[in-house]
Amino acid sequence: MELTLLQISIFIAFGLLLLAFVFALLRLFRGPSSSDQIVALDLIASIVMGFILLYSLLLEREIYFDIAIIIAMISFLGTIAISIYLKRKS
Amino acid sequence: MKEIVIAIFILLGSLFMLVSAIGLLRFRDTLSRLHATTKAPSFAMLLFVLAVCIYFGSVMLILKAVLLILFIYLTAPLAAHSISKVNQKQ
Repeated sequence: MELTLLQISIFIAFGLLLLAFVFALLRLFRGPSSSDQIVALDLIASIVMGFILLYSLLLEREIYFDIAIIIAMISFLGTIAISIYLKRKS
Repeated sequence: MKEIVIAIFILLGSLFMLVSAIGLLRFRDTLSRLHATTKAPSFAMLLFVLAVCIYFGSVMLILKAVLLILFIYLTAPLAAHSISKVNQKQ
């Protein structure tokens, strides 16, 4: 099977995003304060959105774009909810 | 020609995401980490969405992509502001 240029670049981008995911996960486990962990979760949501957009390019399915919209909304609501909770608690 | 532009966008976007994750891992302060993870992932998402738009190119997808980019660029500063308020309280 011959890989096209687009597929090769998508696989390289998958590798880079996986490395970024591992770095964010390290910060999520290691983070000293809880605001660091919220920042790491925000970055992880962005990385997952990038994964899904690249996957829609790889499979040539246009409908996967909607998942990225939903993840954007849910990550924004989650970040705001956790930070308001922490603000009220302290 | 189209594939080369899409490949450049994808690789540049995943590189920006990786740079942001390295910044999240390496910076010392919470606010510096917030600075690293607020702006670079939104630009990376812009590049990914542009790549998907160029690849598929249907009208409905472009409309959804404009809405998603507007949503990301409106909500990323709000989330960062909320997290920084938590950090200020502690």
